[in-house]
Amino acid sequence: MLVQKINHRLIKQALTIRTVEEKFLSLFSEGKLNGTVHTCVGQEFSALAFAGQLKKKDFVFSNHRCHGHYIAFTGDTRGLIAELMGKASGTCGGIGSSQHLCNNNFFSNGIQGGIVPVAAGYALGNKLKKNGAIGVVYIGDGTLGEGTLYETMNIISKWQIPLLIVCENNFYAQSTPQSVNLAGDIRARAAAFGITTFQGHTSNPEQLLHDAKVAIEYVREQTKPCFFLVETFRLNPHSKGDDDRDPEEINNYRARDFLHIFSKDFTAYYDNYLAAIHKEVDDMVNSILPEPEQAMDAYYQPPVSDHNNNWRPLIGINKRQVELLNNFFKQQIVDNGRMLFLGEDILSPYGGAFKVAKDLSVLAPDKVFSTPISESAITGISNGLALNGFKPFVEIMFGDFVTLAFDQIVNHASKFHHIFNKKVTCPVVIRTPMGGKRGYGPTHSQTLDKFLVGIDNIKTVAINTFFDPAIVYDSILQEEHPVIVIENKTDYGKKILHHQAANFVYEINDAPFPVVKIKPVVSVPSLTILAYGGMADIVNNILSDIFFETDLKPELIVPSLISELPVDIIIQSAATTKRLLVIEEGSAFAGIGAELIAQVTEQMDIKIRIKRISAYAVPIPSVKTLEHIVLPEKERIIQEIKAYF
Amino acid sequence: MAILQQIKVPLISINDTSLTVVDILFAHGALVKMGDILLVFETSKTTYDVLAEIDGYIEYRCNRETDYEVNELVANIYSDENEVPEKVVIKYEANKVFSKNHPSSDETMPIWHGQTFFSPAAIQLMELKGIGSAAFIGKDFVSLEDVMQLGKITKDQEVQASKQIASLPVDMEKVIVEKLSSNKKREIAYLSSVQSAGLTSTINTSVNTDGIFVHINQSLKHLKNSLLPVFIYESARLLQKYQPLNAYFTGDAIACYKEVNVGFAIDIDKGLKVLKIANTSTKGMKEIEQEIIELSNKYLDDSLHFNDLADIGFTVTDLSAEGVAFFTPLINMMNSAILGISSIDEKLHRCMISLSFDHRVTEGKLAARFLKELKERVESYQSKYYPLLNQEIGCFKCFKLLQEDLSDTGFVKCITPKGEEAYICQSCLKGF
Repeated sequence: MLVQKINHRLIKQALTIRTVEEKFLSLFSEGKLNGTVHTCVGQEFSALAFAGQLKKKDFVFSNHRCHGHYIAFTGDTRGLIAELMGKASGTCGGIGSSQHLCNNNFFSNGIQGGIVPVAAGYALGNKLKKNGAIGVVYIGDGTLGEGTLYETMNIISKWQIPLLIVCENNFYAQSTPQSVNLAGDIRARAAAFGITTFQGHTSNPEQLLHDAKVAIEYVREQTKPCFFLVETFRLNPHSKGDDDRDPEEINNYRARDFLHIFSKDFTAYYDNYLAAIHKEVDDMVNSILPEPEQAMDAYYQPPVSDHNNNWRPLIGINKRQVELLNNFFKQQIVDNGRMLFLGEDILSPYGGAFKVAKDLSVLAPDKVFSTPISESAITGISNGLALNGFKPFVEIMFGDFVTLAFDQIVNHASKFHHIFNKKVTCPVVIRTPMGGKRGYGPTHSQTLDKFLVGIDNIKTVAINTFFDPAIVYDSILQEEHPVIVIENKTDYGKKILHHQAANFVYEINDAPFPVVKIKPVVSVPSLTILAYGGMADIVNNILSDIFFETDLKPELIVPSLISELPVDIIIQSAATTKRLLVIEEGSAFAGIGAELIAQVTEQMDIKIRIKRISAYAVPIPSVKTLEHIVLPEKERIIQEIKAYF
Repeated sequence: MAILQQIKVPLISINDTSLTVVDILFAHGALVKMGDILLVFETSKTTYDVLAEIDGYIEYRCNRETDYEVNELVANIYSDENEVPEKVVIKYEANKVFSKNHPSSDETMPIWHGQTFFSPAAIQLMELKGIGSAAFIGKDFVSLEDVMQLGKITKDQEVQASKQIASLPVDMEKVIVEKLSSNKKREIAYLSSVQSAGLTSTINTSVNTDGIFVHINQSLKHLKNSLLPVFIYESARLLQKYQPLNAYFTGDAIACYKEVNVGFAIDIDKGLKVLKIANTSTKGMKEIEQEIIELSNKYLDDSLHFNDLADIGFTVTDLSAEGVAFFTPLINMMNSAILGISSIDEKLHRCMISLSFDHRVTEGKLAARFLKELKERVESYQSKYYPLLNQEIGCFKCFKLLQEDLSDTGFVKCITPKGEEAYICQSCLKGF
C-alpha cells in the first residue's frame, strides 16, 4: 500500500519520462531511431529529485542515461523526441542524439568521468561570477572506476566549488553486477576528500525529494560540493536487448517501483494520466515524423585554404621569449576580465616550471589557480570554465603529460561545439612546452604534436623565436574554439630573431597565426624547408651551412598554426625549388610531415623531390650524445639533404 | 591621352646601380622630335644620351646632377601638351640601398650590395672555368647551378666548337684522330668567348731593348734578362688610366674591374692557364717577380687556388723564350685586351709587343695610346750611358768593370799615380 505523499504533478512528470523512453524503444524497434538509447525506466525520481528541483539559473551535466534528467530540468519533451528521431528541430539538430543533449544550462556527454571536471569548471565559473547558481552532475556507479572523478573531487573540495555530484547506483554495469568491479565503500570515497555525502533510494521518492532539496540548499548556501548516492534500479536493459540480469531480481524491483505501486493503488488516476501522456507523446511523434533532417551544409562546410600573402620584414626584439610570454599574461590577467590561468606550481614566487606564470598570482590572486597534478581534471575544469564564458589558459607542465588530458581534449573540448549543434563554444587554451635537448629524458622531452594536430576542430599552434609570441596569443584571445599552444623548452630562453643568417631576408605575413618566410635576399631558392616550433630555430641557425654544404639555396617556411598548414605558400615555394623538406622534432610516421606532403602531393601538378627528417622512433634518451642523435640536428640534417637531394 | 614613351634609367654597367643625370636638354613640357637628345646620363665610366623615339611633349621627372636608380622613371613623352603634368621630382636617396636590416618585401628583385657567398661546388667549377667572382656582383649566393648557368654560352660554344670539328670529314686511313681533351675544349671555349664575335683587333709596336736590362736586372733576383715583370709592372700602372682595357663585354654592357689584377699566361705541360697577380698596381717589381715565381711553382705542383685564377682583368702573354718575331695574342674570356711579348731581336736590339683588344669595349685609338705609353715607359729603363758600356772601362785600382758596377753612379775619370788617364770606381775613390 502506497504511503508516499507525492505531488501528482511529479507523478505525471515521472510517467512522461517513462512513456517517452518506452516510446523510444518502440520507435527503435520500428527502425525510426538511429543509434542507441539508454533508458532510465525505474530511475525517474532521481531525475526529478535533483534536476527537477534546481533553479533555472543552475545547470545540469549528465551522462549517457540522460533523458530523464533532461525532461526533469528543461521540460522540453518535444526537443528530446525530435533529437532522437534525428530531426533538425531536435534540441541539438539530431547531431548529438540520445547521449549528447544541450539546452540552456543542460549538457550531457557520452563519456563517463569526463563530464565531472567539466561540470566542476562550470560551477567554478558560477562561483567566480557570484551569481548564486549551482550545478548537478549525474554519474553512475560505473563512473566510480574512472580516475578523473577523484582528481575532480579533490579539487572541488579544496577550492570549495558548488557542485552536487549525484551518483545513481543501479548496481549493474551494462549487465555485470557491481560486486565484480567495485571495491570499498562508495560514500567513503567522497568523504575521504572532505565532501559532505547523502544517500537515498528512488523507491522512496518522498524522502529522496526531501533530501535532495537539503543537499541542493547545502551546496548553494555553503558554496561547497556535495556527494549524493542514489540507490536505484534500472527496470529495462542497459540499452535495448543487452540484459543478462536475473529476471526474478528485476521483477522484485519492478514490484517495488513507485509508479507500479501507484498504478495498482490509483488505477483510475494512473490510466487517466497515462492515456493523456500517451496521446501527447504520440501526437508529438506523428508531427515530428515528417520533419526534415538537418542539411549537411548547415552542419559542415569544408574550410577554404587561402593563406595570407602580405609579407613584411621581421624585426628582432631584444627580449627572451619567456619574458614576452610572461609580459603578455601579466597584462591580460589584469585587463582581461574573462581570462583565467590554471596550472601546476604556478603560484608566485615559483611561477611555473618555466616561469611563464611569474607574478601572475600576485597581480590577480582570484584568477590564477595553482592545481594539483591532475591534468585531466584541470583541463576538464578549463573546458567547463570556457563553456561558462571564461577564457581559461591551462598550463600542462610538460608536453608529454598532455596525454593525461587527452579525453578532455578529444571527447569534450573538440566536440562540444558540434555535438551541441553549435549552441556553445569552448574557447579553452591549453599551453604546454615540448621538445628535447635538455636531457630531461623519455617522458619529459617528446614532441607529441602529431597526436594533437589530428584532432578535428582544435587549432594547434607552435610558437617560435622569430616574432613576439603575443601576436599568436592576441589571436588566440579572439578564438571562440579550443586552441592548444606548443611552446618549446629550449626556445623560452632565446631572444626574438636573435640570429639572422647573412644574405637571407626574414619576412612574416599578416595572418592571425603568422607564417614566417626566410629566403635568400636575391637568389631564387632551390630547396623549400618547412620547420616549426623549436626545430625552426635550429634550422634557421644552419641555413648558411646548408648552402655551403649542399649547394642548395634554402627557403625556410615556418608556420605557427600547425593544424592548418599553409599548403598554398609551401606549394608556391616548392613549385620553384622542386624540392621540399620537412624537418620535425617528433617522429615521422603519421606525423606533420606526412600530412603536409600528402596535401602538397594532392595539389601539385608537377613532381617534386620530397623528404622528411624527424626524430627516430624511440623514447628520447637522457644521455646527451644519444639525445642529439635521436633528434634531428645540424650534421644529420645536412647529411640527409646531401644524400637525398 | 597617351604616354608615347617612358624613359627609365637604363642598366649600362653592372657596377652602376644608379646613374647621374648630367644634362637636361629641353624645358619641361617642350615639344621634342624623334631623335632629339632628351637627357644625358653619366655612369662611372661614360656618358649615355637618351633619344626621343617619337615626337611629343616631354615631362621630366628628374633633376640635373641627381642620381636615379636603374629602372626608375625619369621622363615621359606625351601626345598632347596639356597632358604633361606639373613637374614632379623624385630624388634618389643615396642610402636607399638594400640591407638585411631593412629588407624589401616587394616582388621586384632587390639590389644587393652585400657579400656574395659561393658554395664549394661553385668555387670548384669557377676555378676550373677560370670565372672570377666579379661575374656574380649583386648576387647573395652562388651555387654550382649559377656557375653553370653563367657558363651556358660558353658551354654552347664548346658544343659548337666540337661540332664544327666533328663536321669536318675524317679519313681514318689518312689521318690519326685524337680526341680533344676537356682542357683543350675549355680553352677553345674561353677564347671563343671574345674572339668569336670577330670584333677584335691587334696592334703592334717595337720596344728598343738596348741597355734595357742594366736597370731592370738590378730590381730582379731570379728573372734577370726577362721583360715579363717589367711589362706586368708598367701595364698595371697604365691600366688605372686605361680602364676599358681592364674590363669586359657582358652582352649588353661593359663591366669594368674595380681593381687591377694582371694575369700572366703559363703553359708548361699542364695546360694553358692564366695566373693572377692580385692588386698588381700596388706592387713593386720585386714583389711581382716573387709572385710570378710562386704562382708558377703552384702551377707545377697543382696547388693553385681558385683565387689565383679568378678576377683577372688584363692578361700578359710572354713568348719571348720561343724566338717569336711577333704574334697575335687571343683575348681571354671576361677580358677586353691582352698584351703579347715577342722575343728580343738581338741584332736589332728590339722586341715586338702586340696588344689585342675587343672593339666592343674600346677602340684602336685608346689601345694605340696605351701601347705607345707602355713602350715609352719600358724604354725609359734603358741606360743613357749604354754606348759606354760596350767599351772596356774598368777601375784601375780594383779592376772592376763598369758593367759589373751596381751602384749606378758611374766611374770617375782620373790621373793615376803613374800620370796615366784612367777610371776609378766610387768604392775605390770614397773607400768602402
